[in-house]
Amino acid sequence: MEIILFYAFAVLAIGSALLLVNLKNIARALFLFFIVLFAMAGLYLFALADFVAITQIMVYVGGVLILMLFAFMLSNKELLKDLKDSSGTFLSMPRWQAIVLSLGFLILMIFGIREWQQSPPTWIQQARENNTEIISTDNNIQQIGLRFMTFYVLPFEVISVFLMMALIGASHLSRKERDR
Amino acid sequence: MIDTILHILVPIAIFTFIAAFTLFAVYAERKIAGFVQDRLGPMETGKYGSLQTIADILKLLQKELITPSLADKILFRIAPVIIFVAVFTGFAVIPWAKDFIPANTHTGLFFIMAIISIDALGILMAGWGSNNKYSLLGSMRAIAQMVSYEIPVGLSLITVVMLTQTLNLNEIAIGQGILTNGSIKFLGFWEVNEIGGFFAWNIFQAPHLIVTYIIFFIATLAECNRAPFDIPEAESELVGGFHTEYGGIQFAFIFLAEYAMMFLVSMLGVVLFLGGWNTPLPNIGAIRLADWTTGLAWGIFWTLAKSLFIVGIQMWIRWTLPRLRADQLMSLCWKVLTPLAFVCMAISAIWRILIIA
Repeated sequence: MEIILFYAFAVLAIGSALLLVNLKNIARALFLFFIVLFAMAGLYLFALADFVAITQIMVYVGGVLILMLFAFMLSNKELLKDLKDSSGTFLSMPRWQAIVLSLGFLILMIFGIREWQQSPPTWIQQARENNTEIISTDNNIQQIGLRFMTFYVLPFEVISVFLMMALIGASHLSRKERDR
Repeated sequence: MIDTILHILVPIAIFTFIAAFTLFAVYAERKIAGFVQDRLGPMETGKYGSLQTIADILKLLQKELITPSLADKILFRIAPVIIFVAVFTGFAVIPWAKDFIPANTHTGLFFIMAIISIDALGILMAGWGSNNKYSLLGSMRAIAQMVSYEIPVGLSLITVVMLTQTLNLNEIAIGQGILTNGSIKFLGFWEVNEIGGFFAWNIFQAPHLIVTYIIFFIATLAECNRAPFDIPEAESELVGGFHTEYGGIQFAFIFLAEYAMMFLVSMLGVVLFLGGWNTPLPNIGAIRLADWTTGLAWGIFWTLAKSLFIVGIQMWIRWTLPRLRADQLMSLCWKVLTPLAFVCMAISAIWRILIIA
């Protein structure tokens, strides 16, 4: 049952991602992007990362995707026409670069599969022997919170300062200019 | 095998409940509207018009499904399903009684917040797919409103979670009654583990949670697009809002989602602030009212009674207050509710450090 679900999510993610890049209709493409993100969240669940899965839905679907849709609906049609024939813009790449990129990823993945041992890594085995293994019914959120405030406190603070900067910048940009 | 059957049966039971609730709530809404406006409401079909909503739904089910010829057909068809499923999934993690909960997860509250944000996407899909300027305007208004009001909701949830120290809705509910293992203090000083009743509810454990609950209630009214925050479906300006083009069973699903959302946020508020399935009656000496009224059936009864009461208040507000203008709506959210929610959050942090721990 779980394997069927896993492959269903995987096929959904890959299939809609493929469809997404081939679609001319941007509105539909954005909604397909939602399906890709949702299927990805489903795949995270199989890695016992339920917190990451929910964060994925919360941040990407509830935030980023809605913002993208808003930007798309508020932009005029002339702008979208430029996007449609993308051969001239700076975002598009000539074919050979794309081939180099995808070949690079393929090599990386083949290397990863060759290096992958069938048995779980030593630190997981150690945790199993010491009975400190985290299973799916454990309270992962408490672990995450503890880790954030102890081991990873510096990255955590850096990210929060960064977000603060983004917030101040956004409110500064959207502020009305005073009459001189 | 039994697990699989249960996994199918529980959603069907919840769906049946939502459908029945919607039928009942529409009737109640029309009767309350009639009462507020000093008229009778539906009276023709059945005794006191009690069969009116059943007749309505039968009419809706028979209607032809019409898709506008210039609409984006796929998006138009999918949108009502996404809107409904997003709200419906939220019911998966809300407890009805002690340990009587479809999915007892540690991420319950977070899950609800995430899944409700998908609702906004469905509304945008419906508005865009209809290819109608009223629908698009309605959905844009709805999204702007939902995205803004998600902030006070989220902050007020954090305020509670700071005190309960868990996102598991089952544990949050347990921590507000006589069945808890931890200590409960009424207003932070009087231990009421034995007494229970309404003294043990979250809003009475820490007095600033009363303010937080009011913020939560107002913000969730806006999340549901209910009056006085119903500019997304303002009939006098936008025909019908984002669901202008929908008819038949598709419209029924959007309607079902709206009422399910009302019940969902009421239930969430009840679980977080008003004791969940815990009884409001305290133990007074030898009269063990709290002990007598705690149990599976009582739990379901209290959850239902409290949630329906909150839904009733939502309806009462809808027919009493006038609609807010778009700018008033935004300034209420950003200039009143959000700062107030932040203040409550800070008080919660201090409360946690100084009074509980």
